[in-house]
Amino acid sequence: MNILNKLRRTGVAALAIASLAGVTGTAKAQTVDVPLIESGSSLLYPLFNDWVAAYSADHPGADITTTSTGSGAGIAQAIKGLINIGASDAYVSDSLEAKNPTILSIPLAISSQEVNYNLPGVTNLKLSGPILAGIYEGKITQWNDPAIAAANPGVALPNHVIVPIHRLDGSGDTFIFTQYLSASDSGWASTLKYGTAVSWPAISGEIGAKGNSGMLAAAAANQYSVAYIGISYADKVASAGLGTAALLNKAGNYVLPTKDSISAAAESVANSTPADERISMIFTDAPNAYPIVNYEYAVVNSTQPASAVAEAIRAFLSWAITEGNAPSFMAKVHFLPLPAAVVALSQAQIAKIQ
Amino acid sequence: MKIRPFRLSVFALSLLIPAALCAVVLFLMIYSGQAIMFNGLHFLTDVTWNLGDMYDDPVTVHGVSVPSGAEYGILVFIVGTLVSSGLAILIAVPLSVGAAIFLSEAVPAKIRPVLSMLVELIAVVPSVVFGLWGIAVLVPFIGHHLSPTGNGYGLLAASIVLALMITPIIASTLLDALLQVPKENRESAFALGATHFEVVSKAMMPMVRATLIGGIVLALGRALGETMAVLMVSGGGGNILPTSLFSPISTIASFVAGQLDSAEADPTNMSVRALSEVALVLFLITLAVNAGAKLLASGALNVRKRQS
Repeated sequence: MNILNKLRRTGVAALAIASLAGVTGTAKAQTVDVPLIESGSSLLYPLFNDWVAAYSADHPGADITTTSTGSGAGIAQAIKGLINIGASDAYVSDSLEAKNPTILSIPLAISSQEVNYNLPGVTNLKLSGPILAGIYEGKITQWNDPAIAAANPGVALPNHVIVPIHRLDGSGDTFIFTQYLSASDSGWASTLKYGTAVSWPAISGEIGAKGNSGMLAAAAANQYSVAYIGISYADKVASAGLGTAALLNKAGNYVLPTKDSISAAAESVANSTPADERISMIFTDAPNAYPIVNYEYAVVNSTQPASAVAEAIRAFLSWAITEGNAPSFMAKVHFLPLPAAVVALSQAQIAKIQ
Repeated sequence: MKIRPFRLSVFALSLLIPAALCAVVLFLMIYSGQAIMFNGLHFLTDVTWNLGDMYDDPVTVHGVSVPSGAEYGILVFIVGTLVSSGLAILIAVPLSVGAAIFLSEAVPAKIRPVLSMLVELIAVVPSVVFGLWGIAVLVPFIGHHLSPTGNGYGLLAASIVLALMITPIIASTLLDALLQVPKENRESAFALGATHFEVVSKAMMPMVRATLIGGIVLALGRALGETMAVLMVSGGGGNILPTSLFSPISTIASFVAGQLDSAEADPTNMSVRALSEVALVLFLITLAVNAGAKLLASGALNVRKRQS
C-alpha cells in the first residue's frame, strides 16, 4: 500500500515536472528512479551532502547516497564499478588512466588549502615552498632560522623548535601540499615527490594527525607548530586563533588565500586546461595567484551499465557544476565556482557518460 | 545409521567459526603473496615505509611492477604495537587488580552489582570516544605538564588510552573469578589469623592466577588490534623508532587504516598487497601472544596443583 502510494506520488510529481519542463524548457526531470552512489573525498563530502539535499528537493525520484571514505577509495571504487561517482581531491594518475581509459576526472568546484601556524605574537608570517620543504625535511628546525627570517623582515621570530604537523591518513590535502613543495623546491621534487601519502622524513617532535579536524586540534594544542589544513576549515582555524601564512607564488609574491588570489590561480589555468581536465593548479604563473589551489573531481566511468544510470549521473553532475556552483553552496565550505571555460569542458566530459 | 539432524546442524554451525578464521588467513596469505616475495625479510627489519610515487610510471623490480621508490619496512610499526600494548598492560594490570579486589572485598554486596556494571560499561564505550577524549583532554595535559617538548601526541598518550580501554576487561574477568573463590578458603585463612591483605594475596589471588592471565591475554588482544583511538592520539610516527615516552608512534592496525586509502590509488596494487602482508604480521603477533599466554596459564595451573 505504502509502496503503491509512493509510486503514484513520484509518478504524479514526475509528470508535473515533465509538463513544467515542457512549459519552461529549463527544468530537468528525472523520471526514472535510479539509485546512485557517491563515495570518496572527505573534503567534498559536506558539499555533496548539501548538493544531494537540494537536488533531491528539486528532482523527485533522485536517489543519491553519499558516503565519505577518502579520495583513494573514491577513485578505486569508481574504477571497480562499485560506485557511480567517486569524489577525489586529486585527478586520476596517468598510469591508472592508461589502465582504465574510460575513467573521467571531472572538476566540480575549486578548493584551496591554508598553511597555518601557532606562533604566539606573530600574525603575519610569510613562508615559501623551499622553507616549508626544509621544515618538513628536518633541515629547518628553528623558527628563527635565517631562511625564515629573510622572508619575514621585521618580524620577531621566536627562538624555538618548529613542530611540523602532517596528515597520517591518506589525504588530498597531502597531495596538493606536497605538489606545491615539489613544484617550488627541486630537492623535494627529486626525493619525496607528491602523493596522498608520502614517506615523511623522520623528525623528532613531528606529529601525524588524522583528518583535517585532527590537524586543527594538533595545531591548536601545540605552540610553535605549522600545519596544512583544507580551506573548508578556514572558519574553525580562525576561531582557534591560528595564523594563516602568506605563501610565495611563482611570480615571487607572498599571497594569502583569498577569494581573489584563489580565483586568480583558477583563471590562469582555465584556458590551458586540457580536454580531460587532469591539470594541476599548484604554483601557477599568475602574479597574484595563491599557489595551493586545486580542482575537486568527480571520478566517473564513461561506460555505465545502463543508459538510465548514465542519464541520472549526467543530470546530477551538470546540475552540480551549474546550479550547484551557486555561492550559497560554495560559501559554506570556502570553495569557488568553476570558471566558465572549465564548466564548458566539464559539460563536454559529462556528455561522454553513456 | 541414524541421521541426527540436530547434531548435524550444530556440528556444521560449529565449523563456521574456524572456517571463517581459516578463510581470513588464507585470503591474507594469497593476497599478500606477491608482496611477501617482493619484500623478503627486509619487511620485518627495515624502518622505512614509502608507498612510492604513484603519479610516475611504475617500475619493474625483480620482475614485479611497483610504484617507483616504493619501499616497505614495518619494524617501526611492530615496535610501536608491542611497546604501546605492553605499556598499556603495565598500567592496566595494577588498576584492574585493585579495582577487582576492591569490588569483591571492600564493597557491600548490595552495591557491588551497580559498581561492577559501571566497570563493565567502560568496556562498551566505542573506541572513537576514547580517541576524542584523548585529543581533547589527555594530549593537551601530557603536552602541557609532562612532555619536555610540549607535544602530547605519542607513545604515552596511546598507552594510556589503550590502558583505559582494557582495564574493564581485566577487572571484570578477575572480579568474576574472585567471587567464585570458595568461602571456605577465605574463612579458613581468616581463622588462621591472616590479615585481610594476607587473605587476598595468599589465599585468593593464587586461586585466580590463571583467570587473571586469561583476562590479560584478552585485553592484550584488544590492545594489539585497536585502531581508531590509537590513530587519533599516537602522533602517527613513521620511519623512526620511538626513543622516549613522548615519541610519536604508529601501531600496525592504525597504520593499515591510515594508509589504505592512498594504497588504493596504486596502479600496480602492490601497496594494498603490502598492507595485507602487514595485517598478516599483526595476525601472527596476536597468535603468538595468545599461544604464549596459554602456555603461561597452563604452567601457572600446574604450579598450583603441585603446591596443593
